[in-house]
Amino acid sequence: MIKSRLNKNNYGYIFIAPFIIGFMIFGLYPVLNTLWLSFTNTTLMTSHAKFIWFDNFKALFADEMFIKAMKNTWLLWLLNFIPQLGMAMLVSVWFTSTRLRIKGVGIWRVIFYLPNLMMAAVVAALFFSLFSYYGPVNQLLVRAGIIPEAIDYIRDRTVMRALVVFIQWWLWFGQTIIILMAAMTSISVSVYEAALVDGANGWQMFRFITLPLIKPVMIYVLVTSLVGGMQMFDIPYLLTDGRGSPANAILTNNILMYMKFRSNQGHIGAASSVGMMVFVMTSFVALLIFYLLRDKDAAKASKKVNGGKDNA
Amino acid sequence: MKKITIIFSVLIILTMVLTACGKTAGEKTVLNVWSFTNEIQTMAIAFEKTHPDVDVVYTMIPMTNGEYQTKLMATLGTDQVPDVIALEAAFVKQYVESDFLADLKSLNADVKKADVYPFVTEVGTFDGVLKGLSYQATPGALFYRRSLAKAYFGTDDPVEMQKILGDMDKYLAAAAVVKEKSAGDTFMVASNGDFMNLFYANRANPWIVDGTLTVDPMVNKLIETAKAFRDNGYEAKATQWQEGWFAGMNDSLVGADGKPKQIFSYFLPTWGLPYVLAPHAASADGTKTTAGDWAMITGPLPYQWGGTWLGVMKDSKNLKLAKEFIRFCTLDETNLTNWATGVYTNAYLKAIDPNTPEGQAQAAGDFVGSKVVVNKITAGFDNSELSKFLGGQNSYGAFALAAPSVNARLMQGSDDAIQRAFNDPLASYLDGNITLDVMWQTWKDAVHNEFPELKIP
Amino acid sequence: MHNYRLNTNLTRAFIYLFLAILVVITVTPIWMLVVNATRSTTEIQNGVSLIPSTHMLENYRVLLSKGLNLPRGFLNSLQISVLTTIVTVYFSMLTAYGIVAYEFKGKKIMYNGILVLVMIPMQLSIIGFFRFMSKIGLDDSYASLILPSMASAASVFFSKQYLESIYLQDLIDAGRIDGCGELGIFHKIMMPIAAPGAFTLGIFAFVGSWNNFFNAYILITSRNKYTLPMLIQTLRGDVYRPEYGAIYFGLAASVVPIIIIYFLFSRYIVNGISMGAVKE
Repeated sequence: MIKSRLNKNNYGYIFIAPFIIGFMIFGLYPVLNTLWLSFTNTTLMTSHAKFIWFDNFKALFADEMFIKAMKNTWLLWLLNFIPQLGMAMLVSVWFTSTRLRIKGVGIWRVIFYLPNLMMAAVVAALFFSLFSYYGPVNQLLVRAGIIPEAIDYIRDRTVMRALVVFIQWWLWFGQTIIILMAAMTSISVSVYEAALVDGANGWQMFRFITLPLIKPVMIYVLVTSLVGGMQMFDIPYLLTDGRGSPANAILTNNILMYMKFRSNQGHIGAASSVGMMVFVMTSFVALLIFYLLRDKDAAKASKKVNGGKDNA
Repeated sequence: MKKITIIFSVLIILTMVLTACGKTAGEKTVLNVWSFTNEIQTMAIAFEKTHPDVDVVYTMIPMTNGEYQTKLMATLGTDQVPDVIALEAAFVKQYVESDFLADLKSLNADVKKADVYPFVTEVGTFDGVLKGLSYQATPGALFYRRSLAKAYFGTDDPVEMQKILGDMDKYLAAAAVVKEKSAGDTFMVASNGDFMNLFYANRANPWIVDGTLTVDPMVNKLIETAKAFRDNGYEAKATQWQEGWFAGMNDSLVGADGKPKQIFSYFLPTWGLPYVLAPHAASADGTKTTAGDWAMITGPLPYQWGGTWLGVMKDSKNLKLAKEFIRFCTLDETNLTNWATGVYTNAYLKAIDPNTPEGQAQAAGDFVGSKVVVNKITAGFDNSELSKFLGGQNSYGAFALAAPSVNARLMQGSDDAIQRAFNDPLASYLDGNITLDVMWQTWKDAVHNEFPELKIP
Repeated sequence: MHNYRLNTNLTRAFIYLFLAILVVITVTPIWMLVVNATRSTTEIQNGVSLIPSTHMLENYRVLLSKGLNLPRGFLNSLQISVLTTIVTVYFSMLTAYGIVAYEFKGKKIMYNGILVLVMIPMQLSIIGFFRFMSKIGLDDSYASLILPSMASAASVFFSKQYLESIYLQDLIDAGRIDGCGELGIFHKIMMPIAAPGAFTLGIFAFVGSWNNFFNAYILITSRNKYTLPMLIQTLRGDVYRPEYGAIYFGLAASVVPIIIIYFLFSRYIVNGISMGAVKE
C-alpha cells in the first residue's frame, strides 16, 4: 500500500521535468544575467565592467527619484487595481449568476476583452491626442462652459495620474473578468443548489461559496496584478515624454529602470539593480498575500467534502 | 613516378589557390547595412549598380522604442554585427564617442574634395577621429507667412526680414509687434519648442567640461526668452508634433474659446519643408491652403535639426567594402547629385533590382552635405514645387545660405538627454507651477539620475 | 414571489444599463483606432475623430508600396503564436498537474522557486539572452521565441491555481481504479475538465505572443521571418514623415486575427458546469 503511494507520488517528478529542463536552458541565463549585472557597473557603450558589490543599491536608496518612483508605482497600482478587481468581480458574478440569467454573456465578454488586444502605444497616442492642449477634450469643455479656459492636461499631475490609472483599468479589466469567470464557472452548480435549499441568499452564497472556492484563482489575479503593477511601464512612458512627467508624477519603477538602461552610457548595471529591488519588493508583498490568504480553511473543507487527497 | 607526383601536386595546389581566392560568377560579397528608415535602401540599390559583385543586404529595424539600438548592442561581439549602420541625430554622437565605430580617415581626401559642410563632419568626429559621415546636411531655417509679414512689417522680402529677425533680441521685439498689430490673434510661434534648438546650438561651452555639468549663458537666455514668450502670449502653447502645431500651418488653429488664431513663423530644417510644412499647408478638409504664402530665411541663429549619419562597425568583416559604401553614399558626386535631383525614381531602381518595393524612390530636394554638389544643382530648383510653395523662393539656395554658419563642434553624446531633461521642468515653470529655483533643481536631479558620475554644481 | 421577480427584473435592467455604459467606454478608443485606419496621415496628425474618412484604400496602397510581404508576415505570426500557445498551455498544465496531484520531496521548494520567477523583471535580460542564443546557434530562429514558453512561470502559476480549484480527488481515484496510467489520467481526465482554464490561458498566450514585437526584433534578423506586427512597426521607421494612415491601417489589420482566434476559443470557455460534473 505505502509503496504504491510513493511510486505514484514520484510521477510528480516526471510531470515537472520538462519545465525544469526548459528553464535550465532558456530561463536560467536571463535570471542570472540580470542578477549578476545588478552587482556591476556595466554600461552598454563601453566594453569594460567592474564588480562593484552593493554600490548600485546604495546609490538607489540615496536617490530621491527611486523613492518617488516606488511611491508612484504603488499609488498607481492600487488606484487601478482595487476598482478593477471590484468591478470585474461584480460583472463576473452577474454573468455567472443562474438567477439573473443575463443574455449575451459571450458577446459582452468579448467586447470587454478587446482593449487587452490593443497595443499600449496606440492607446497612449490616442489619449495623448485627446487631452492635448488643442485637443477635443479642451475644445468640448471650454465651449460647453464647464471650464473657463483650456487646461494643459499634460502638465497636471492629477489628470495624468488619473489617465494612467484609467487606461490601465481599461486595458486589463476584461482579462480579469475572463479569469474570474473561468474560475467561477468551474464551481459545480450542485453546491449552490445545496446552499439554496439551506436558505442562503445571494450575498451569503457569494461570500461563503464563491469567494472561498475561487480563492486560488483570486490569489493568481492579486499576485500577477501586483507584479504587473510594480513593473508598470508602457502607459506612463508613452503618455509622457518618457520620463514620467509632469514633475515625475507618473514616474514608475520600470521607467526609472528604462531610463538608466537607455541613458547615454546605457547603465545596464544600475538598471538591473532597480529591477532587483522591484523583485525583492514584489516578492515580499506577494509572500504577504500568500500568507494572509493561505489555504487552511479550504484544506479543511475539501477534506470534508472530497475525502481529502490522502485517501489513495 | 616523380613526374606524375609533381604534376599531381601542382594540380592540387592550383585547385586550392583557385578556390581560395576565387569568387565564382554567381557568388557575391555580402554587405550588411542596418538602418531605421527606408531612405538609404535607395542608395544601397544604386550602389549595386556600380558594384555588381556586391549584394547589399538591407535590414530595417525601427527605433521608435529603442529596438534598433538594443539590437545593435546585442550583436556586439557576436558574428551578427552589421557592417554599416545608420545613426540618427539623437544618438549619433553617442556612438561616435564609443569604441564601436571604425576610423574613416581613409576617406579624408574625399571629404575635402566634396567640400562637406563642416558641421556634418563635426558631428561625426570625436577626439579628432572621423567616424561618421552623412549624405545630407540638415541646417535649420525660419519659415514665415508672407501675407502676415506684409501686414505687420510692411515687407515680405527675405533679405529685409532677415534684417528684422536677425538675432533673438530682434526676434523677441518682432514678437511684440506681431501681437500688437494682430490684437493678440496671431502668435509669433506655435510652440516654444520651435526655438529651443537655436539656443542649444549656439552655446559657447559644451554641457560637460572635465566631467562637470556646465550651464552656458545661452541656456539662461533660453529660459528667459521662453518665459517672455509665454508671459506675453507670443506663443500659442502648442506642443510640437501635436494637433495645434500642425493646425497653425494651415490656418485652422482655433483657440479653446473658438476664435481662430494664426501663427507667424515656424522653425524647421531642410526635411521640415517637404515633410512637415508642405503636407500640412492644406487644411484637413481641403478648403484652404497656405501654399505660396510662405518664405524662408536663416533666422535669428543658425542651427541644425535631425539628419542621418552612416558609420562602419569596427568588428565588421568587410571594412574596406563598408568604407567604400560610405564613400559612395556620402561623398560620391554622381550619387549625391542623382539623390538630390530625383534621378532615383522607382523605375530606375527597379531596373537595377527588380525586387524594389513600389514606394521606394527618392524625390528631388534633399539637401546634401557636399558643397560642391549643392552649388552645382541649386539653380535647378528655381522652378520646383517647393519654390512655388515659397512664393518663388528657391529653398535649396536658401538652405545653402544657412548651412555654412551652423557649427556642431560642441556637440556631445549626452546633449540630447541633458536637453530633454529640461522639457518637463521648464514647462512646469512656464505654467507657473514651480519657481525658477525649483526648476533648476529638478533639472539637475534628472540629469544626475541619468549621469550618476557627473559632477553637478 | 411577485416581489422577487420584480426585484430581479429591476436588477437586470440596471445591470444592462451599466453594461451598456461600460461598452461605450470600452469601445470608443478602439473605434478611434479603426477610424484612423480610414484617415490620411495629415488628417490623423491634425487630431482624433470619431467619424470615418475616405482614405482607407489609399492607406492600404501605401502599406503595400513599402514592399512588406504582409501575407508572409501573417503566416509567420500565426506559426509562432500557435506553437507558443500550444507549448505554453500544454507544458504549464503538465507542470501544474504534477504539483497539484502529487506530494514529492522538494515540491514546495520547486513551486516556490517557480513563483519567485514570476516576479523577476525580465526586460533587461534580452541583450544577454540574445547573445546566449547566438552562442548556441539559435539566433534568427523561431525556436528562441517559442521554446522559452516551455518554462513560463506565470502560466504554471495560473494553471496551478486553476487546477487546484477544480481538482477532484474522486475523479482521479476513479481513473486509477480503471487502470489509466498517470499520464493517461492527466490527458484523458484532467485536461477535459480543465478545458475552460486551458483555453483561457491559451488566449492570453496567443495574444501575448502575437503582439510582442520588441523581443522579436532583437531575436530575429531576417526580413522574411518578420512577424506581422514587426512589419507594421517598420513603418514607424520613417522618422521624419511617418505614414500614420498606413500604420493605423496595419495596426487595425493585425488586430483582426486575434479577435477571430478569441471568438473561436471563447466557445470552449463557456460554462464549465457541463464539463465538471461528477456524480456525488
